[in-house]
Amino acid sequence: MRIPKQLVGAGCALAAVGLGIVLVQPTAGQAPAGYKGPRLANGKPDLNGVWQTINAANWDLEPHPGAPSPVLAFGAAGAVQPGLGVVVGNEIPYLPAARAKKEENARNWLTADPEVKCYLPGVPRATYIGHPFQILQSNDFVLIGYQYASASRSIPLRPRTEEAPVNTWMGDSVGRWDGDTLVVDSESFNDETWFDRAGNYHSDALRVTERYTPVDSNIIQYEATIEDPKVFSRPWMIRMPIYRRVEPNIQLLEFKCVEYVEELMYGHLKKR
Amino acid sequence: MSIRAVSLVSATVAALALLTAYPAAQAPTASSGAAAASNWVPAKTLDGQPDIQGMWINYDPTPFEVPLPTAARGGGGGGGVGPSTDFDDTAPRRVPRRRSMVVDPPSGRVPVLPWAEAKRADDLAKIQDHWVHQTPWDRCITRGGSPGGMFPGAYGNGYRIVQSRGTVAILYEMIHELRIIHVDGRPPISPKIRQWNGDSRGRWEGNTLVVNVGNYHDRGTIASNAASGRIRGIPHTADLQVVERFTIVDKDTLNYRVTITDPKVYSSPWTVEMPLIRDDSYQMFEYACHEGNRAMPNTLSAGRALEKQQK
Repeated sequence: MRIPKQLVGAGCALAAVGLGIVLVQPTAGQAPAGYKGPRLANGKPDLNGVWQTINAANWDLEPHPGAPSPVLAFGAAGAVQPGLGVVVGNEIPYLPAARAKKEENARNWLTADPEVKCYLPGVPRATYIGHPFQILQSNDFVLIGYQYASASRSIPLRPRTEEAPVNTWMGDSVGRWDGDTLVVDSESFNDETWFDRAGNYHSDALRVTERYTPVDSNIIQYEATIEDPKVFSRPWMIRMPIYRRVEPNIQLLEFKCVEYVEELMYGHLKKR
Repeated sequence: MSIRAVSLVSATVAALALLTAYPAAQAPTASSGAAAASNWVPAKTLDGQPDIQGMWINYDPTPFEVPLPTAARGGGGGGGVGPSTDFDDTAPRRVPRRRSMVVDPPSGRVPVLPWAEAKRADDLAKIQDHWVHQTPWDRCITRGGSPGGMFPGAYGNGYRIVQSRGTVAILYEMIHELRIIHVDGRPPISPKIRQWNGDSRGRWEGNTLVVNVGNYHDRGTIASNAASGRIRGIPHTADLQVVERFTIVDKDTLNYRVTITDPKVYSSPWTVEMPLIRDDSYQMFEYACHEGNRAMPNTLSAGRALEKQQK
């Protein structure tokens, strides 16, 4: 299913100005007329590099105000960052029972969000979880390495030949080029990951179609269409720009957060 | 489908592939002469690097160290020198058995200092007390991107190499470790940043990718898999320096040679060498280790239960 494309809000663009990123006003899902970005030797757009989103999507995909942290000690440092929302049409079309589950998730955020336990982030959350990620392109393969939890995705540029024999946290992805847009189809997810800290979630029927469209040498327009008939009444889409980290020495560092949650998860079992 | 079942299926496929495509596996010698003398010309990647991309495996029956005369076969502590005999469904894919993976010193024994062996033994005796006594693999942090992650274990020895502009990336099957080796000449990161897998800088010397790794912290172990025998669980320090040489010998053979220097732990540098074998039929699945780590809470809670019994 195709969802009508709209102009993105200027909010994210304005937020990025302060970081010294040169911006154009990106139109949604397609390169501006006449834009021809850098190419690989095989003629495909060169998306290699370290990228990061600038938004509050990991707090809540939908529009939301700021809020205090549920952990008193964090004060303002851990408070909820407000956001205009990244859902096209603003609202996620939950089925009624699923909406209730989402609200239960939100009430139990600290104990139920897989991010709190350093579990793999799933798709598309890995994109906007706040850490940089690196796109590595070869002729017939795209790897995406995410700094968060050393997560990664291995994306062969070919049609899917068979259904994955197991469901996984990061799903099973294949990619293809649609003009200058990298299209990634992902399926065979388990039902363990969330979309954000607000409890937005999915089932194991999730399918995600991502479109990475370079609109400037330093900006990728990113869209992800989410289908899950067990949880949503129709497919829906998120949209956000992804910005290149332009520092010449930029690289991913280790964020092996398992070490940061061992006391939280196992502390009650260690020897006293 | 269980991982083990998946392994069985792909093992059968791979066995056929090995028999046909790799009839005369050239095990590298201790001198590495075969690798160095190869004049095979690899293809070039999009940015002009020698192309070593693809799926590589190293199921290998070779003992990690030369066995002591009294040592029993099998992994684990004591005189064990690996590999584990537990997962024989991988047998058809194994490369020929050599004297030992350790090729230098010539004894084939790792020159580990006594304090480090004592620390390993002490940690192993305390794994029910606290997670810090367990290896990074048991904790599901990393099996080690370098060098431990390249030492073959009983299962999960798949490595996908993808080369992009200025990088060689290795996706390790074990705990989905994506290691990005920068080959664009950039300087190392600040010495203030210390990491489990350090920081890798590579360069091409002909058909050999030479990688220098530094910036380690001191919380890791040099090897975490039982197939490494008595070296499993040996700590390393922040002074650890690793030099790896990946040499493309022919279309289906990537020789791996690594030299480990850590003066507070070893009386001299030591070197491990093994072939990686191309197997494009090998299927690598997500190894979501931490997400399913029941061993950690079970190990610790068993320790607490024992304490109660003994009171």
